[in-house]
Amino acid sequence: MRIKIVRVIALFLLISIALDLFYVQVIRGAYFHNLSANNHIRVVPLEAQRGVIRDRNGDTLVDNRLSYDVAVVPQDIRESEELFAFLAETLNEKKRDLLQRFFQRKVAAFAPVVIVYDVDKKVAMLLEENRFRFPGLYIQESFRRFYPFEQAGAHVLGYVGKIDNSKVDQLKEYGYNPESLVGYDGVEAYYDRYLQGQAGGQQIEVNNHGQQVRLLGVRESQKGEDLELTIDGDIQRIAAKILGEQRGSIIVMDLDTGDILGLVNSPSYNPNVFSDQKLRSQAPGILTDSSAPMLDRAVKGQYPPGSVFKAVMAMAGLDSGTISSQTTTQCPGYYLLGEQKFLCAHVHGVENLVQAIAHSCNVYFYTLGRKLDADIINKYARLFGFGERTKIDLPFEAAGLVPSKALRQSKNQGGWYTGDTLNFSIGQGDLLVTPIQLLRMMATIARSGEVVQPHLIKKIGQQEVVRLSSIKSIRIDKKYFDLVHSGLRSVVQDPEGTAGILNMDGFEVFGKTGTAQSNSQRKHHAWFVGYDLSGKQKIAFCVFLEYGGSSYHAAMLSRYLLQEMRKEEII
Amino acid sequence: MRRHLAFFIWITTILIIGMGLLAVYSASYHNPRVSDTVFTSQLVFAIVGLVFIQLLSQIDYRKFFDLSYFFYGGCVFLLLLVMVVGRHALGAQRWINLGPLSFQPSELAKLGLIFALGRYFSENISKISFSFLTLTQRLWRDLFFPLLITLLPMLLIFKQPDLGTAILMFGIFLIMLFVSGLHYRHYLFFLGVCLCLVPFAWHILKSYQRDRLLVFLNPNIDPLGAGYTIIQSKIAIGSGLLFGKGWLAGTQNQLNFLPERHTDFIFSVIGEEWGLMGTIFLLACYAMLITCGFIIAEQVKDKFGTQVTIGIVGILTLQVAINIGMVLGLCPVVGITLPLVSYGRTSFLIFVLMIGFLLNLSKRRTIF
Repeated sequence: MRIKIVRVIALFLLISIALDLFYVQVIRGAYFHNLSANNHIRVVPLEAQRGVIRDRNGDTLVDNRLSYDVAVVPQDIRESEELFAFLAETLNEKKRDLLQRFFQRKVAAFAPVVIVYDVDKKVAMLLEENRFRFPGLYIQESFRRFYPFEQAGAHVLGYVGKIDNSKVDQLKEYGYNPESLVGYDGVEAYYDRYLQGQAGGQQIEVNNHGQQVRLLGVRESQKGEDLELTIDGDIQRIAAKILGEQRGSIIVMDLDTGDILGLVNSPSYNPNVFSDQKLRSQAPGILTDSSAPMLDRAVKGQYPPGSVFKAVMAMAGLDSGTISSQTTTQCPGYYLLGEQKFLCAHVHGVENLVQAIAHSCNVYFYTLGRKLDADIINKYARLFGFGERTKIDLPFEAAGLVPSKALRQSKNQGGWYTGDTLNFSIGQGDLLVTPIQLLRMMATIARSGEVVQPHLIKKIGQQEVVRLSSIKSIRIDKKYFDLVHSGLRSVVQDPEGTAGILNMDGFEVFGKTGTAQSNSQRKHHAWFVGYDLSGKQKIAFCVFLEYGGSSYHAAMLSRYLLQEMRKEEII
Repeated sequence: MRRHLAFFIWITTILIIGMGLLAVYSASYHNPRVSDTVFTSQLVFAIVGLVFIQLLSQIDYRKFFDLSYFFYGGCVFLLLLVMVVGRHALGAQRWINLGPLSFQPSELAKLGLIFALGRYFSENISKISFSFLTLTQRLWRDLFFPLLITLLPMLLIFKQPDLGTAILMFGIFLIMLFVSGLHYRHYLFFLGVCLCLVPFAWHILKSYQRDRLLVFLNPNIDPLGAGYTIIQSKIAIGSGLLFGKGWLAGTQNQLNFLPERHTDFIFSVIGEEWGLMGTIFLLACYAMLITCGFIIAEQVKDKFGTQVTIGIVGILTLQVAINIGMVLGLCPVVGITLPLVSYGRTSFLIFVLMIGFLLNLSKRRTIF
């Protein structure tokens, strides 16, 4: 009985649907058929405001600036001659140019055509006052990206531009349209889908001349999510000032959390160039500059680490049991391999591990490298994160390259020689790293093997981003780390240490210098990568100077960096 | 008659799947926004599905009974797993919480619920009520405990969030509860309580879910979002008129006006290209399948069989009604597929399993 009742209800449901189908497809069918045949519905998009980006202290890194665009709606124009004459006069442009732009950009009778973007507020007011005389003339307000930090923030923040034609199709489903602004590079690109917001629009019914008959509905656009970054705007400014015209990068990271506090490269570019009509003319210059100002050297640049790599070598030697704290080597100023001399910077005499790190003795590490062999060095280099991306939240990160015998063979570049192993041992030869990898390696050593994840994001909208401050750890005995720590401290404290300049009152700096030969005839790359434990906030930092000559320069800039940060009471 | 029933089920199933394949092909035809692989994938699934149906109809029917709770538990476990995995494993940005992820175990859970309720009702309800059970005890046994069985997966699915499937699960419960023989007075009282809770439920909904329900009342609130879909799908169906525009010739479909047209809105493709003839034919096929189901349910001598059959027929009816209603703007857009027609592997597979079960019973129902 009950089944019968359910059955009746079910059939009743299906029949009522059939009746509605009849109503829609037959009784109202003609109306819908007409709508579909002429496709009378059009959508005029309304851009959404992108989210604002702030630093860890709430200071604005990227803002939206109101801009006034002069637009004309074709279907509303009465006297086009007079209108364009008036526009030409007020905007101080040739009438012919304006007309040409108008016809180029016109898509439909109802769609506003923007004739001039981003005019002065005064001009906008003047036009607004005269609107009543010229039907069809509109002043549209839109938002443009504004980067108050200009060059100092460029590589972290990125810039925005019109969406690439090739990308439109694949992104259409996610609500992008050909007029959408999308982030290129930096945080603007990496977190684009959060910053993007939801475009709104007007849906209108048009007649067969393409003119609007009535407005069917409006949906307001929704602003994108605001972001809060781990960046500290002040550090960003200081680092940019210290780096100045010198090519290279400075990265400052919170040692405990992996928060990137500052990341600056030089040369840099002004991201406003891509969103400000008045600066637009500078864009081609930036894109073709041979010094590559668009390149984020800190995460995309790949360089030999030079002697900084000796920190990894020391860990490899200790953990594999090849050396102990007592192991010494006699340095006569060179290492003889057959007939070939591999040079050291000085004649160091007898040195143990701590001294060898402090003085950056090549001979000690040549000897160690030969005992270890290339494959073991490769293993430890990978263990400390070389050859793989750090997964920092910036686009197009480079992975670097860790050489090995197998790789050499697979690329048909000839055999692997002992000389290659020696070069590998002091961070030369084929080994390539990014500054961010080197910084993470140093942080890992500082934290006795606990790896931190370098990252830039702190909050998306109101939501704190969940992050794993220590993803994994490297299992090496803590006493080996302690030994390397004292080596890194001696680099600064030892009277003969290579970075004695960083031995300052009130600081407790550890680190390693590096002077890496570049392939060409140019000067060496200079590195200082280290950390400071004295402040309320423990930081790790990396100063890299491309073709910067001696590592002394990098250590010098590190000194300025720390002093300035202390002066501004950041650390 | 026994032979005939099985035959009818086979024929209607094949017809429905066939129409679905044609529609999916059309929806993905020369279309940059729907991948070409959609059709081939659906075709492969259809063939595998038919083989599966045949195999299922041969299995010993008691196995379903034995595995009911196990199956149900597995579904709940998968739903929980989705909640956990959905939070953490997110590829490159694994340390960013992307929020909830809609996932397919919810489809499997529908069937799991039907089997679990079927077994529970068949074991725990006897028509003769002895006086030594108090009213509370009886209500607990006949109403509240099965309600709990339903609420567990339902809330997990609601959390995903998948409002449509959650509502559907409740629908199954109401139907199976009714057939289980609960006293009319209690049943009506329970329905009344549920109605009273509707305003409360409104507040639990996420704002976009509320928006969608409001849009259903007036599509012009949001003509570019959810409303747009309803307006466009109505235009598509309506413009099909009596005989349709012809296969692959639907302008709404081919000109990219219809979003989600190969999944939830596939019916509008059929309506536009095959007209009233096509839509009524498809509806008739469903009606036939459903009727066969009811006949089986009445003839089966075993309670478990009756209950499960009613559950299956119920979900089939509800999904057909809600999906077509949604496309026609008769009910809110809640993301429910059209059985055996919409593209979507899990959904398709689940209905194949259900048909297999019906066939199994249609052959054996007199044994019990």
